[in-house]
Amino acid sequence: MLKKVLSGIALSVLIAGSAAPSAGAVTLMAWGKHIAKEGNGTPGSTACMECHRLNGGGMPSIGAPRIAGQPRRYIAREIREVQAGKRYGPVMSGVVQNLSKRDIQAVALYYSRVHAPKLRDVGKPDPSLVSKGRRIATRGLWAKNIPACVQCHGPGGYGVPPLFPYIAGQNRTYLLRQLMAYAFLKRQDDPQGLMRGIARRLTPEERKAVAEYFSSLQPPDRDVP
Amino acid sequence: MTVRLTFLGAFIVAAMLLSSVDRAWSGPVEVMQGTEIFTPPPDSEIPAGPFGDLVRKGEKIFTQTGRFARKYVGAENKMTCESCHLDRGRKPYSAPLWGAYVMYPRYRSKNHMVNKLDERIQGCFRFSMNGTAPPVTSDTVKALIAYSFWMSRGAPVGVRLKGQGLVKLPPPARTPSLFRGKKVYAARCALCHGAHGQGRTSHGGQVFPPVWGNGSYNKGAGLYKIAKLAGFIKMNMPLSKGDSLTDQESWDVAAYIDSQPRPADPRKLARR
Ligand code: HEC
Ligand code: HEC
Ligand code: HEC
Ligand code: HEC
Repeated sequence: MLKKVLSGIALSVLIAGSAAPSAGAVTLMAWGKHIAKEGNGTPGSTACMECHRLNGGGMPSIGAPRIAGQPRRYIAREIREVQAGKRYGPVMSGVVQNLSKRDIQAVALYYSRVHAPKLRDVGKPDPSLVSKGRRIATRGLWAKNIPACVQCHGPGGYGVPPLFPYIAGQNRTYLLRQLMAYAFLKRQDDPQGLMRGIARRLTPEERKAVAEYFSSLQPPDRDVP
Repeated sequence: MTVRLTFLGAFIVAAMLLSSVDRAWSGPVEVMQGTEIFTPPPDSEIPAGPFGDLVRKGEKIFTQTGRFARKYVGAENKMTCESCHLDRGRKPYSAPLWGAYVMYPRYRSKNHMVNKLDERIQGCFRFSMNGTAPPVTSDTVKALIAYSFWMSRGAPVGVRLKGQGLVKLPPPARTPSLFRGKKVYAARCALCHGAHGQGRTSHGGQVFPPVWGNGSYNKGAGLYKIAKLAGFIKMNMPLSKGDSLTDQESWDVAAYIDSQPRPADPRKLARR
């Protein structure tokens, strides 16, 4: 109850405008959490936690990604690209359309700071695909000019802030869907078309193999800037 | 008639002999083997036993130089051999080891001497890695030579293979411009190499190498020559998108990068 009243006060301060810029970070964080939990209050807004959970662990069963601990700039950027239609996501686009610039900053800050354990994926990993995926991930397929995935996504697939997301420990349904989306141009927001080029040069089986491999790893647990 | 033909035949044979002698004197021949590029043997064929161990050790030094050959790498240097010789020294046009092994000993204008491969490797430690030359008898050099030897298995000796060395771009149409180069850098390179050329790290490890500053190659290095750097960039950068910049963009961005601060040439320091 007290919590509710308090967040209500924080809210009215926010709505009143740029009341206390020095306390900005704290209120931004609180507002981000509020959006995650209940949406931003505009008609049709949905709470992020319905699909990404409050702790950002995601929902493997529907292929909703884990976003806990992704770089703040990356999260904000992806939401803006969904709004702009450069990233085709029928589910997400309905949800984030009415988020303001500040809402996006807030919710990106919140999710970049939360921690979530790895969730069980649907189904069991296929060991032969995992080992094939590991090879591509750590060695690349240079005959097709594909560098090792970890050269851009960091050792262990832990990401390289601010614009290279972590992919280790992400659910496999989501990973495979993204690789397809890049390959078939439904996702066109990647800087310089780097991921589109790579995903297009992978065969369907290779895409599956790397998705299996990275989903078999543990996600990073850390605070990213 | 027959006599004349025989004469002609003898003349042709003599001319061929002469020209091959001539070529032998003027150094190796460029062999363009169609579109075929030499393929090094797969890792799975590295034999068990001491030779295979040395090859594997060479690869570790090559890809994690700061860890496995620490004492020869400059204190602040953040590069590995693979930073410039991509795909563990295999990628064509990034001075691959298979293209190098078969071309030494060779005359180099850098020091006006005929250099052996081990001396060439020492040079990359001293200049590209801003460190010190490992002795030719050191395990470090032996392992790197074994690794290069292994990778060249089946390659013809003394022949300039396609994909060897770096690409040599034709002279730029316009004088390279730092102003245009800076724009190319911001649009196509800063994502990975950072706005200040510092590279990027993840969890404490270097992921993208620095292209200038204390952690990068020094002013004695091959890439400190704009023509070499432009050729390297043209075929290899942005990573996975080689051959996507125009020649002019490659010259411009190379001029910009080499205009930035980096460690001094150790040969000039020594002279002072
Ligand atoms: C109805 C379910 C649903 C809701 C609610 C939802 N999302 Fe999503 N979200 C998804 C799905 C599904 C994807 C994958 C989109 C795709 O396939 O492109 C996604 C993707 C994302 C991504 C991209 C992650 C990445 O790694 O690239 C971000 C960031 C994100 N959502 C943030 C949010 C935020 C913030 C909210 C709340 C304002 C929210 N989502 C609400 C389902 C949802
Ligand atoms: C040349 C650099 C580069 C390489 C190599 C690379 N990636 Fe990426 N990848 C990126 C960038 C940049 C993004 C973010 C793109 C965006 O904002 O849409 C990305 C995004 C992704 C995503 C989406 C992550 C998310 O949370 O939505 C997946 C999945 C992915 N990469 C998988 C891979 C795999 C698998 C490989 C190896 C086959 C690989 N990448 C190699 C640069 C690279
Ligand atoms: C900063 C980039 C850079 C780094 C780091 C680097 N090199 Fe080089 N290396 C070059 C350049 C440039 C050349 C000259 C290529 C040319 O002129 O064709 C070269 C040439 C060579 C050659 C001869 C290639 C040939 O075709 O003649 C060998 C062998 C070599 N390097 C080994 C190494 C080793 C071993 C390391 C690590 C200790 C290393 N290099 C680190 C840039 C680098
Ligand atoms: C997607 C990330 C990415 C982009 C974009 C990129 N590079 Fe690189 N670059 C790398 C990586 C990674 C290496 C090291 C190669 C390796 O380890 O396999 C490298 C190596 C280099 C090197 C040699 C090593 C050094 O640090 O000096 C130079 C020079 C270079 N890049 C210049 C450029 C230029 C110029 C551009 C823009 C036209 C560019 N790069 C764009 C990732 C990138």
